[in-house]
Amino acid sequence: MIKNPSHPKKGHLKNKECKFTKAGLEYIDYKNTDLLERFMNDQGKILPRRVTGTSAKYQRQLARAIKRARFLGLIPYVAENLR
Amino acid sequence: MKNYYELTYIVDPVLEEDQIKEVISKINSHLEDNGAEIDEVDEWGMRKFAYEMDKKNSGYYVNAYFEASSDSIENLERTMRIDDRVMRYLTLKYDAKMLRHRELQKKNAVPSIFKQETEDED
Repeated sequence: MIKNPSHPKKGHLKNKECKFTKAGLEYIDYKNTDLLERFMNDQGKILPRRVTGTSAKYQRQLARAIKRARFLGLIPYVAENLR
Repeated sequence: MKNYYELTYIVDPVLEEDQIKEVISKINSHLEDNGAEIDEVDEWGMRKFAYEMDKKNSGYYVNAYFEASSDSIENLERTMRIDDRVMRYLTLKYDAKMLRHRELQKKNAVPSIFKQETEDED
């Protein structure tokens, strides 16, 4: 699928499990920025489902939480160096 | 019909400390005057923004939980919109799932997603 070995998506392809379902978390809090940043790349973009393996249900919730956190200035809309 | 709400707002950092306190007590009394029952008010304090907002780099964050009727929210949001000292606000109505999450949060028992999985970091 991805031929470039240095592609950021490489290495993520193995885990096809939704982390939220697994942990039994029902609601993704926008205040939990540490968690949200785990699902964003270093530019501050939301990582796609095919990378993180999140289920559709939680991806929607995640996107909503990230957008709320962005609105309140907790996480950036765009960033050159997030971490 | 009463619902459980969460409110986060950012107070202008240019203000003096007692002016900030005044804004917070104004919002709190506004809530109580409209028949809301305040559950918790958590002042996060001065926090740096992730990006520049209205030519400012930080703000005073306040996070509150309360129970109120749905009509009073409209009133509250209008007050905050008019008040220049409140930079931004976000009100959320809690549904059953969020309420369950809140209960867990109070008991400090929110399930964590990442435990030792640091290899997922990109």
